[in-house]
Amino acid sequence: MSKYALFLGCTTPTQVPQYEVSVRWVCKYFGIELIDIEDFICCGINQVNLSIEAGLLMATMNLALAEAKGLDILTLCAACTGALAEAIEKLKDKAIKDRVNEKLRDIGLEYKGKVKVKHISRVLYEDVGVEKIKREVKKDLSDLRVAPHYGCHYLKPKSAFEGFEEPDNPKTLHRLISAIGAQPVNYETLNLCCGGKVFPVSEDLVHSLVQKKLDNLKNKRIDAMVLQCQTCYLMYSDRQKEVNKKYGKQYNLPIILYPQLLGLALGADPAKNLGLNLHTVAVDKVLEKIT
Amino acid sequence: MFKQPVSSSDFDRNFRSEVTEHPDASGLSACFSCGTCTAGCPIHEVFPEYNPRKLAKMVKLGMRKQVLSSPYIWYCATCHNCEQHCPQNVKFFNVLNVLKNMAAKEGYAPSCWIKQTEQVAKTGIVFSIEEKWVKKREELSLPSLKLDGKKAKKIIELTCADKIKARDSE
Repeated sequence: MSKYALFLGCTTPTQVPQYEVSVRWVCKYFGIELIDIEDFICCGINQVNLSIEAGLLMATMNLALAEAKGLDILTLCAACTGALAEAIEKLKDKAIKDRVNEKLRDIGLEYKGKVKVKHISRVLYEDVGVEKIKREVKKDLSDLRVAPHYGCHYLKPKSAFEGFEEPDNPKTLHRLISAIGAQPVNYETLNLCCGGKVFPVSEDLVHSLVQKKLDNLKNKRIDAMVLQCQTCYLMYSDRQKEVNKKYGKQYNLPIILYPQLLGLALGADPAKNLGLNLHTVAVDKVLEKIT
Repeated sequence: MFKQPVSSSDFDRNFRSEVTEHPDASGLSACFSCGTCTAGCPIHEVFPEYNPRKLAKMVKLGMRKQVLSSPYIWYCATCHNCEQHCPQNVKFFNVLNVLKNMAAKEGYAPSCWIKQTEQVAKTGIVFSIEEKWVKKREELSLPSLKLDGKKAKKIIELTCADKIKARDSE
């Protein structure tokens, strides 16, 4: 069907392998070929804090590596998606591209400007399509009420994504959830950031943001939050435990990555294929509702 | 933040142009201080002292030292809401990055970002991998990770990002 260079990023392979394994399983199911590029490095999004130039060079190095193999990039992390897409946008300026290439030459690479970056959800939405997904569903998820969470860098800056999504009123994850028969539930803080990018600087800020969304979701009969970025995942799952302790709360909301939910609908093994046994907040109650 | 009044005679009149000269921050010149950035900022909502409008205004006034030494310029969650709604198309996220780069050169960067840069130079990514996750990857039949930082290290050296010292380094 289609073929991509798999961009794992930093957090997924080292802390959330359940996301990686589920993406590999789902892609194999739909005939999307994923090529591993060992030389990929961090997308550069955090390096921008100290040096915009270093961040841009790191992003461009990754783009050039995929380009050299004639491949577009498939990302898992929302932030990697944003960082790489923003770099592509920036590199359209020839003067910037030339300056960056001059430095990349030192590591034997050149960026020409032929590569595209697509998040796994976008690939599922555009390359596979909602109708095809619907036809493949083997399990009944109709009892599941789930809260979608998009991830800021999946949506913004809007200019980097060719009008793929409407950041203030996003739809693709809602549609991907509906396609497998589960119910996406709207809620007031749908677009609230998980805070993941400020976590190294201030854990308190993140706890406040996480608590706000979890508080909004209580009493809404939500079975799980469904998201599409491992950093958002860690903020709402591992930080959920911290928030409970810190504020004396009893949140117990399962957090699931979309490819895992899709895998469940397609009949994948929850532990072996989707790593659902590795979750910080147990997902047993979600699994019980799927028949 | 900044409870003590700063006399206008202490303003650095060149600061504004120093910031807006950077292509990533040039849009700031168009800011008319409406505060839409702040109204939509999730960090401002949970921590009102973090105030993008105030920071933008301080840059324009020339409050160089107060801005660059402020811990709050590092509080952005990078959600891009500010630029998404800005009527003047100011990319405040990018403006902040320019400010952070300037602050970093002057020794105000928090140590977390310095440590991440050091890590990237070792493994190519911002983390190393703990043994338990190496085992989990094997159990899940995932490929082993190369984690080679040589090329990343070169990039960091090329941009002098390795020369930056943290505010809490001494």
